[in-house]
Amino acid sequence: MEESHYLNCKSRAQNYNPPVDLRLLDYVSIYDNNLMCAICRCPFVDPVVLSECDHVFCRDCIRQSWNSNTSYTPLGPRGDCPTCRTPAKLGPRSATSKILVNLVDELVVHCPKRDDGCKAEVRRCEVQDHVNIYCGYTVIECTDDDCTLPVRRKDAAQGCLHFGVSCLSCHKELQKWKLEAHWRSECADRRVHCDMCKSSVFYRDLEAHRKEACPAMSVSCPGKALGCTSRSKRGHAELHAKSCTFAKLAPVLLKQQERLDEQEAAQKEMSRKLEVLEGGFQNMQGILYPPGVETSQRSADNSLTPSLQERLFGSGTAESTTPTGTAAGYDWTESAVDEDAVSPAETMHTAFSSATSPRQRAAPLPPGPRPADLPEPFSSDFDIASPTGFPPPATNGGPYASPLHHLLSMHESLRDEMTRVSSALSELDGRHSMQILNENLRTREEISYLAAQTAGLQRQVHWLTSSALQRQQGRSPTPGASSSGAGGAMMDAGAGAGVEAAVGAVSTAATALRGAARMVNVGGNGSGSGTGTGMRRGTSEEGRTKL
Amino acid sequence: MAGMSSKRLQKELSKIQGTLPPGITLVSAPDLREWTMDISIIDNPIYPPHETYRMRFSFSPSYPIEAPEVVFVACTSPERKIPLHPHIYSNGIICLDLLDSQGWSPVHNVESVCISIQSMLAGNSKAERPPGDAEFVRSNRQRPRDINFLYHDPKRAFAGGIVF
Ligand SMILES: [Zn+2]
Ligand SMILES: [Zn+2]
Ligand SMILES: [Zn+2]
Ligand SMILES: [Zn+2]
Ligand SMILES: [Zn+2]
Ligand SMILES: [Zn+2]
Ligand SMILES: [Zn+2]
Repeated sequence: MEESHYLNCKSRAQNYNPPVDLRLLDYVSIYDNNLMCAICRCPFVDPVVLSECDHVFCRDCIRQSWNSNTSYTPLGPRGDCPTCRTPAKLGPRSATSKILVNLVDELVVHCPKRDDGCKAEVRRCEVQDHVNIYCGYTVIECTDDDCTLPVRRKDAAQGCLHFGVSCLSCHKELQKWKLEAHWRSECADRRVHCDMCKSSVFYRDLEAHRKEACPAMSVSCPGKALGCTSRSKRGHAELHAKSCTFAKLAPVLLKQQERLDEQEAAQKEMSRKLEVLEGGFQNMQGILYPPGVETSQRSADNSLTPSLQERLFGSGTAESTTPTGTAAGYDWTESAVDEDAVSPAETMHTAFSSATSPRQRAAPLPPGPRPADLPEPFSSDFDIASPTGFPPPATNGGPYASPLHHLLSMHESLRDEMTRVSSALSELDGRHSMQILNENLRTREEISYLAAQTAGLQRQVHWLTSSALQRQQGRSPTPGASSSGAGGAMMDAGAGAGVEAAVGAVSTAATALRGAARMVNVGGNGSGSGTGTGMRRGTSEEGRTKL
Repeated sequence: MAGMSSKRLQKELSKIQGTLPPGITLVSAPDLREWTMDISIIDNPIYPPHETYRMRFSFSPSYPIEAPEVVFVACTSPERKIPLHPHIYSNGIICLDLLDSQGWSPVHNVESVCISIQSMLAGNSKAERPPGDAEFVRSNRQRPRDINFLYHDPKRAFAGGIVF
């Protein structure tokens, strides 16, 4: 090689090849751990001794480590020793033992272009020269005079290789001088060796091979979740699985676990439902029996009873027509009892029977919003038996399959009770209005009887008046008239005036009676019977014709 | 720098794949940026011997000049919990001086960090989380590397000052 050409090459090579970082080299020689820098874990590169503790590091390593966490000081780089944390600064180059430098320089390393294909092994102190001058895989400028593109030194003799080709395997477009490197390290279709099993596979399949096929890859036993800690090469895994109890049990247990999870989910759902039901039930109970009811109700009970009695038995009739009123009262009570015989709840029965004899009532009344015209005692009083709890439904006495069933049946029976109470209430309402109507009817009859009697009296008075007049006329000088004399007429005139006054009084009494009858009638209409008016007319007509 | 980082990690990895102290295993090292390690603790009733804890190491290109980020991770298959320790938050962040930029030294490595954490757990006598754990876990959105500064903030004194 000519001297000028050599120098030319060297300068060009340095342009393309940055200085070799000796800490990145692969070593051929086996080196002593004492020659190793604690930071980069390589044999020292340009070793430096720390002034205080004599620990040795590569110059670049210790500089980097100190630069990262200490600010610049004018006294030169200083910091804590990474190994022993002694505050120190770099010693002078002369402090480093020549023997140490020689030892590390003599170590044999692979050429840094080894991955590209260079098989050279050189002493570490010569590696920069090898790359710069001799290595065939170092990039230099194209030898073609018109071309300044880079090319590997070993290919430079082939002339300019800067033309496009395409890879035969993967059809990637690239320049000819790069093709070898492409095959070596880029092409997806190149053959590579699996580093586990040493078999040759396509690069693109390497990942899948490692994951699924590589017989040297160690896999864990299928029963790992159950506690088998065995890991074996894929080739031997099947053998192990055959003998391993865990592996045999794994699928069964897995299925069981799945079912367990399912059941757990179902159970959760059920308990959620139960919670909702319980909440609803509690709400209902709260509506039916609000707290603090017992005492106030008990005191109210006594004051309530007389008015109740009056409402039931007095019935608003001024006369002593009580037999009819009580008869009506007993009438509906009996029918209510009959109804109870049909319905299984005996609580209703007690409620109704206690209603008929309010004085015997000892239990508090359940309060709640209730129309004022409804009689108080007609509500079920479950709380007689158990103030806090709920009596078990009377429909069947058998044990319940579950608390939920119990709750549901209680809920159901409660609903039944509610419907029974509401139907009883509506029936009672009907009965009550009927009763009022009857009372009205009787009152009206009385009134019309009175009216008829008054009318009779009126007629008698008329008759008396007219006979008196006749007698008077008979006495008058008119001939053909009655034989009554004028003197009698004179006398009778005074009597006639008295009778007229009596007639007037009777007719005003009759009007007053009619007015009373109308008022009663209005009351009867108010209690809700639509046919009241027609009936009143019919009866009053009847009463009139009777006389 | 990046070259030195990967060179050193490669060396560490080939050593770790060979031998490791008992109770420490390499789970995966798919690349030279993130590794997972499992550790188990012997001889401490707080940590049952069959329970294993998983740590995730994340390396920056400045490793080993810069400390790796080490956190405990929880997962379900296989089951891995965050160990109970007054210096380990329930989101896995470890308050350990060694992993702090001040406490870190480039002479440490993955193996030595594992051993340190293992011994920190083995010597623990309190089965509890750090004070203010819930609040910290809820509010923290930073990476552990960025929180390290806060550990030494006097305002957050409760978390600071852990030296081995
Ligand atoms: Zn070094
Ligand atoms: Zn030192
Ligand atoms: Zn070479
Ligand atoms: Zn060219
Ligand atoms: Zn190709
Ligand atoms: Zn393989
Ligand atoms: Zn097994």
